[in-house]
Amino acid sequence: MELEKASARLAPRSPWQAVDLGSQMFRRWAWPTVRIWLAFTLLPFLLTLAATSSFESFWPLVLFWWLKPAWERPLLAWYSHALFAEELTLKELFKRWRHYALPGLMAQLTWRRLSPARSFNTAIWQLEGARGDQVGLRHRILHRAPSNRAGMLTIVLFHIEQFMAYGMMALLYMLIPWQFNLEFSDWFFEQGILQTLVASTCLYLVLCVTEPLYVACGFALYLNKRTWLEGWDLQLGLTRIGKRRRSGTVAAVLLLALLAPVLPEPASAEPTPKHKTNTEQQQVIELLAGEDYMPFETRTSREWKNRDEDASEESSWWEIFWEAFFDSTDDGAERSSKPLNIPDTLIWVVFWALFAAIVLWLLMKVASQIGFSGPIRKRKHAIPTHVAGLDIRHHSLPDDLEQAVNSALEENDIRTALSLLLRVSLATLLREYPVALAAGSTEQHCLRTLQREHGQASGIEVLKQVVNAWVRTAWAHRPVSEGDVRELLAQWQSVRFVEVEHG
Amino acid sequence: MSQPNTLQEAAALASDIEQRLNQALIGQQQVVREVLIALIAGGHVLIEGVPGLGKTLLVRSLGKVLELDFNRIQFTPDLMPTDVTGHAMYDQKTEQFRIRRGPAFTQLLLADEINRAPAKTQAALLEVMQERQITIEGKAFSLDEPYMVLATQNPLDQEGTYPLPEAELDRFLFKVMIDYPDHNDETTLVNMVLDGTIRASLDVDSLTPATDGAGLLAMRKLCDSVLIDAEVLDYALRIVRTTRDFSGLSHGASPRASIALARAARVQALVEGRDFVTPDDIQQVARPVLRHRIQLSADAEIEGQTPETVLGRLLEQVEAPRQ
Repeated sequence: MELEKASARLAPRSPWQAVDLGSQMFRRWAWPTVRIWLAFTLLPFLLTLAATSSFESFWPLVLFWWLKPAWERPLLAWYSHALFAEELTLKELFKRWRHYALPGLMAQLTWRRLSPARSFNTAIWQLEGARGDQVGLRHRILHRAPSNRAGMLTIVLFHIEQFMAYGMMALLYMLIPWQFNLEFSDWFFEQGILQTLVASTCLYLVLCVTEPLYVACGFALYLNKRTWLEGWDLQLGLTRIGKRRRSGTVAAVLLLALLAPVLPEPASAEPTPKHKTNTEQQQVIELLAGEDYMPFETRTSREWKNRDEDASEESSWWEIFWEAFFDSTDDGAERSSKPLNIPDTLIWVVFWALFAAIVLWLLMKVASQIGFSGPIRKRKHAIPTHVAGLDIRHHSLPDDLEQAVNSALEENDIRTALSLLLRVSLATLLREYPVALAAGSTEQHCLRTLQREHGQASGIEVLKQVVNAWVRTAWAHRPVSEGDVRELLAQWQSVRFVEVEHG
Repeated sequence: MSQPNTLQEAAALASDIEQRLNQALIGQQQVVREVLIALIAGGHVLIEGVPGLGKTLLVRSLGKVLELDFNRIQFTPDLMPTDVTGHAMYDQKTEQFRIRRGPAFTQLLLADEINRAPAKTQAALLEVMQERQITIEGKAFSLDEPYMVLATQNPLDQEGTYPLPEAELDRFLFKVMIDYPDHNDETTLVNMVLDGTIRASLDVDSLTPATDGAGLLAMRKLCDSVLIDAEVLDYALRIVRTTRDFSGLSHGASPRASIALARAARVQALVEGRDFVTPDDIQQVARPVLRHRIQLSADAEIEGQTPETVLGRLLEQVEAPRQ
């Protein structure tokens, strides 16, 4: 790599300045890169659209999207040459396709497909040609702190893509004559084939702009990281100084030639070695990337913001909690540049737990919407504690129903006697045949539910008579006779007696 | 014509009317029950359903079974208020203004697709529904009792419609949802048309009157003697009041809804053959009384909830009364 030929100034930058450099590269070479994108993807995309409309399936579009790492490779190949003053033609790109497209492509299309740092990592495979264990080593070196923000770049550009695509669809919607009577919601959310094709085309047109930009920014981040690690700026500076010295030396030699008879023997400089072997170079890179030679030193300290100095030194419980929490997570603090010193592992665990929870929640929501209950067992209803305001908890009921009813009848309290009978019969039946009841369930609603779900159950017919008697007593203020209550009690006991005998 | 003198007779008559209506309108028992309750309670009904479910047939059947006058107005965007109520016109022969009475001068008025007419025309019905009178040229004309407006609207095809204002909606005692009959009922209906038991034009000639307007008014009067316990009345009020502060609702029901709920529950008890109201009666009529009087919040609408689901939740949460 001849760094002096680079058309951009190679200097250590912050990640966002590097992204700026990437956007500058895209702006300078916008048309060639868009042309390359179209040359490599237009035909596959049209085939994808044809397949989508033929099979009425969105899977061809998913496949096209999944192959994005492959579509990005020609762009990176072109940028990597163009930056060093060699603009490849389309013909050359097609010819060299095997050389730059295949290294690491399988990994990028499978387990590394969803890597947010794709724009950065592609350069490791494609430009460095890393293989096997070397890939992991290069990943570790190039992804060391400070972060290169490649993941954030992906997230930002993903959103830009979506906004632009939806904006384009909205624009199209506004241009459709009103006579078509097309609803806004139908246009955006209908799963028809027309909508799918229009949405895909809009997204593809947006990708014509965002993909070359994305690749350029990722490449710029990669260059920036290597500039930091390998001191490319220093190397270039030294080369320039060397050149100046050599030109100065030529002038001096001419001057010395004139003055040669009067001057002593000229000094001869030791020749500078021009080439290093690859192994030596790699060793130097690793040495420079090591912790001892990292140009950054991260010091982390914690203190409370806006804390009143005059306040008592006793910490509140939450201050103690946070201190204990941070102390327990300080193992990676020395290497971390994050203000809270939370180890990366913890963040990733939380992130993936949240991700898994969201996916699970979405699956459950979709399953419930399509009415799929799956192997989940039908929920057993809880036994209610009250029905229509009547307490039917076990401890509130008499141990001996007959005695309690009789004593109420002796006091001529028919309402209490009937209430006892109703509560006991409800409690017994609901314990044996649980049904879903809410706070607003009335006695009649409870009866109807039991009849609907357990119509054949013994005791429900007696419950119906008890409920009718109770409703008349409670809401019409016309108590049934004492004999009616005794008759209902006898019926209830006979039903229970038969059940116990057979049960 | 028979007129009920006791609650038992009134309950029997109501059952008879219901049975006759169900003979004409097959597979819509719930709709028939709710319309009958509204009619006995002296309220108006807003019926919502797609075309072809027998809304007109229901009103014609009501007119026939109860011997009531029946008029139908098809509401359209160019319908004027005077087309509904009537107007004064100059008679050149007598050289005087003469009142030409509109179709609202009847006993059963079917306002078909009421939301197709602009608000001004819809508002012409306000006085009719609330005051039971029509004012033309400053002169008020009372309407014959019993009087009932049955308005219909189509839940589909909302293009070019004018949603009914809250004030007008509140004047309907019930909003009745009419849906497709189930498979068995539809089979029965088609078979009856095919074997000539009923004609495809769904005429009501075969129906015979069960009572007349006077009988209906007698039933209405008897409803006043249906007992409603203080706890049950309180339950009705708690339901209505909960709508004013319930999640998923931005707008609750007015006190008119409380009155409507109590009135309708009494008739529901009568139709069930009881002379007292139970909490179950309140629950039975709560949905048709409240579904058009509440307004869903934006969040609830986005979540796809409907007035039915929200009311179902509300009825589950309001505690049933205890004695």
